[in-house]
Amino acid sequence: MADFEAIDALLARAGKDVALPPVEERRALRQELNLSRAELARALGVSPSTVGGWEAGREPSGDVREKYGYFLEGARTKLAAATTEEVSVEEPEGDASAVAGPGVGQDDDVDVLAVARPCVLCGQPARHEVAGYPQHLDPAECAAAVTGTTPAAPTTPSTQSPTPSSTRHHPGARSAGGVRIVPTGRRVQAADTPDLIASAVAAALDEHAGDADAATAALIKRAIPDAMALLDHSRKGGRYDVIAHPWLPDILRKQTARGADQIWEARPKWTRPELPPGEHEVTALDVNGAYLSALKTHLPLGQLEHSTGDHHDRRRAGVHLITPPAWEHDAFLPNPIGSRDEPGPLWVTEPILRLLLRLSGPKYALCEPPEIHESWTSGATEGLLEKFRVALKDARERAIADGDEVTLEYVKAMYSKFVSTLGESNYNRELYRTDWMHLIRSQAFANLWWKAHRAYDEGLMVVRAMGTDELHVIGDWRAVFPEGRGVTEVKIKDVYTVGVGPGPDDHG
Amino acid sequence: MPERNIEFGKYGARGIKGHEAVARQLDALAGYITTPVTVRRGLLARLHYLTRTDHARTAARVAGLTVTDRTLRAWIDGRRAPSRKNLERIDQAYRTVRRQNIARYLTARLNREGRGTRVEIHPLNQSGVDRPRQRVVEFRTLNVRRWDRIVAAWAAGDDPELDNAWIDQVVDLGSQWGQYEYVTNIGFAA
Repeated sequence: MADFEAIDALLARAGKDVALPPVEERRALRQELNLSRAELARALGVSPSTVGGWEAGREPSGDVREKYGYFLEGARTKLAAATTEEVSVEEPEGDASAVAGPGVGQDDDVDVLAVARPCVLCGQPARHEVAGYPQHLDPAECAAAVTGTTPAAPTTPSTQSPTPSSTRHHPGARSAGGVRIVPTGRRVQAADTPDLIASAVAAALDEHAGDADAATAALIKRAIPDAMALLDHSRKGGRYDVIAHPWLPDILRKQTARGADQIWEARPKWTRPELPPGEHEVTALDVNGAYLSALKTHLPLGQLEHSTGDHHDRRRAGVHLITPPAWEHDAFLPNPIGSRDEPGPLWVTEPILRLLLRLSGPKYALCEPPEIHESWTSGATEGLLEKFRVALKDARERAIADGDEVTLEYVKAMYSKFVSTLGESNYNRELYRTDWMHLIRSQAFANLWWKAHRAYDEGLMVVRAMGTDELHVIGDWRAVFPEGRGVTEVKIKDVYTVGVGPGPDDHG
Repeated sequence: MPERNIEFGKYGARGIKGHEAVARQLDALAGYITTPVTVRRGLLARLHYLTRTDHARTAARVAGLTVTDRTLRAWIDGRRAPSRKNLERIDQAYRTVRRQNIARYLTARLNREGRGTRVEIHPLNQSGVDRPRQRVVEFRTLNVRRWDRIVAAWAAGDDPELDNAWIDQVVDLGSQWGQYEYVTNIGFAA
């Protein structure tokens, strides 16, 4: 095929394999060849953001997967060849490195220094600067400079200066041997990054002599305090403090001990009213770690402040009293405010308001804009729980890759109990943020709504959307959602058939 | 401003005394019976709490529930209903006894073997103050290590003593502590 020839032009070597290398490697492979996303995307006939998605964890499918696998395999063999013949690497790379220009300058943080300055790691002259700190990009150079001391020092910059593009190693790629550092005072220190989750699991397994069930039970029992410790740890050096006990307006307070407050979280509970005649195979899909993903949402930082008027400030978040717009697409798509029986104004959270505003915008134009009457908001950030979320997500991914059920259960208990005890729970008195609890839950519901919309957009038939993570669809959903256990993927909960001729019996 | 305020609210600032906010939070942590005393269920729960043991009866009597045992039994059996004044007394006695009962445990929880508890101080509300007179008063946190005096004063219902005990802690905020004499909220966990 002609496309294959285009890739051949990029790669000298052949060899093809549909099994792709792991996600972390893909980006490194491309970058080490000094190829930009756009170049690769053009050769593969896809958009650059698609390539970005593959490098971030999505899986390509169909024959583009074959092409991408062909590229990665080729890149790998080419790099393997390049490391064996270190010296002659510059010439055959010609076309690739020429486009990339000075090579390392392409990376956001790495700068080439005109005059050598002392490396922050070893103190010897270095010609590169990462995030403002002059240093050797290759730990081997550091080591060489240290062992070679004074006689080696003047030769290091002189051998390096004519070939700035020879540094194929940049900090993103060297994860194995590198030492993470943090500036402390006028020096730097090796960053102290204890893996709280792994050490807790190891300690529990140790204590129960390797009995996985007992260790899991013990870990689940201490999941809430551990999650709070992890949260504190993840906020070290952060810009904002977690404010745990702000004054809350009455709408966020429970009216009775067992009652609810006045916030409508917009939990979806929607079933398509009717299906076209004939027999349909419905697949119930389950979104993995819905609440874990929902930790990324705009959270109000401080105490909520009252405001009135039909105005939404994107830099603030909170709860809003709105009159929801009419929804006319109930036959195909769930109502974004959930199955609300009562008409009239209601208190919704930030994610739902943003969802409604986006849907009322010119791009979607699915409904009228909601009318905002009052708001309780505070300055917001999306990054407050981001490190916390990423730590949990990474631990989860690693546990899935290693088949480590203990860590998996522990992580699951940590984030789910964290979300459910954020409010006025007696199980977690360290954090009384009822507003965050509602916002995070609503974000999960909004995320599910967007999944339903995506399915609808790609031509699937959405049958049900319910709870936080359940979506029933008809059609070839594998072309839309990747299947797997990662947070960006979905798994099958159930497959059933509906409707033999007349009288479609709806599955319960 | 290393002094107590003299005319708080003169320019429109709003807030409550720090020690009132502390008492409110301690009350929330104490977890009283939620059902009001005016409902039979709430009344019975309180009476049972106050008559469960001889010790509880004595404590209730000291706390101001000076009625005969016969009257108490009549209230519990439902043969008579307490007057409005007595309902108030029952509720007050219940709160006092409950506070005294949990004070020791609460102190231990808050002291955390000397590590103390982190307290969040949310500054007073200046939205009613003219712009030129508004001051930057930040959200502050403070680690309180010794809670004995605070909890004891709260359990005894001694407001001036609670105020003094709390101000003694707030002084650790630095020379600006007077700005935190009045607050919107004080939050801590136990």
